[in-house]
Amino acid sequence: MVEEVATKSNEKPKEKKKFKINLKDNMALITGLTMGVLAAVVQGFFDVQPPAGAGICAVSHPANLINWIVNQVFHTDYTIHSIFVTVPVLTSLGFVIGSFIAAMINKEFKIRKGPVRDNVLAFILGFMVIVFGLMWGSCPIRTAVLASYGMVFAYVVLGAIVLGVIAACEYIKWKVRR
Amino acid sequence: MLTLKTSLITLVVGMIVGYLGQRSRFCTISGVRDFYLLRDPYRLKGFIGVLIGGIIGFAAVNFFGGTLQSFLHPGSIEFMPLLSDGFNMEPIILVALSLFGAFGMAYFSVMAEGCPFRQHVIAGEGRISGMFYLAGLICGVLFFDIVLVPLLQVISMF
Repeated sequence: MVEEVATKSNEKPKEKKKFKINLKDNMALITGLTMGVLAAVVQGFFDVQPPAGAGICAVSHPANLINWIVNQVFHTDYTIHSIFVTVPVLTSLGFVIGSFIAAMINKEFKIRKGPVRDNVLAFILGFMVIVFGLMWGSCPIRTAVLASYGMVFAYVVLGAIVLGVIAACEYIKWKVRR
Repeated sequence: MLTLKTSLITLVVGMIVGYLGQRSRFCTISGVRDFYLLRDPYRLKGFIGVLIGGIIGFAAVNFFGGTLQSFLHPGSIEFMPLLSDGFNMEPIILVALSLFGAFGMAYFSVMAEGCPFRQHVIAGEGRISGMFYLAGLICGVLFFDIVLVPLLQVISMF
């Protein structure tokens, strides 16, 4: 009896599976793809180069902007990427404004604490990240862009980034276990 | 006019990416962290998406007549994206410095719960720690310029 039911259910005509991309589940992927394409388009068609792969960066662009402002105000000569010597690069400002607009449109903007509990610690972490980041000169996004342009060393650096994340995760796990 | 165009285009691109980053919670460092700790591939797909998008963009730009620096020819291996071009160091020291920097950036980004891009986005959302992070970032750049670069130059002389 059970077998009969099973065979009957198997005989049901199969419905054609509709190919559907779930946008919500792949939003990060879409964002990543857009970043990669935009970084190339900005450089290739709008002449935001040299240096290579500098279409989008969250380490060198803020550093370029700050150095540009300091150079203008105090007449110093801190190093700036060649294309941004005469003009301010406003990508990092755009990140904040874009995020602010998105949060406002979707009613998610709210002044609140976190994700780092201690604000002083957040300040120190920002300080440490940019100091280490400037030793390499790129954020992980630009490193991935450089890797996609065929820079072999960028793949090695991506490996170092993954190692850094694993080391931090293991440290957090060890601290929780103690 | 050209200079204004460059500034405007970087602002517009930043805004588009910032908007998408807020909607998708995109983060490179958290992508690797989430996959390592929780086997959650959502954000890691974004990081891999940058790689794929870069390849698509590179091919598309070259196809439609744009120019991008390729690394697929001899001599391009010497390129390093260091902000300070004046580092007169042996290449091997630069390589070690870059790897150390990338490792440290990733380590402290996990502690800050997000990559530098994500911190910009959460600051825009109204998160206070993100704003303090950006203040630290500004001070870090100045520290790098004023203290670290001259120090590294002196060390590189020996």
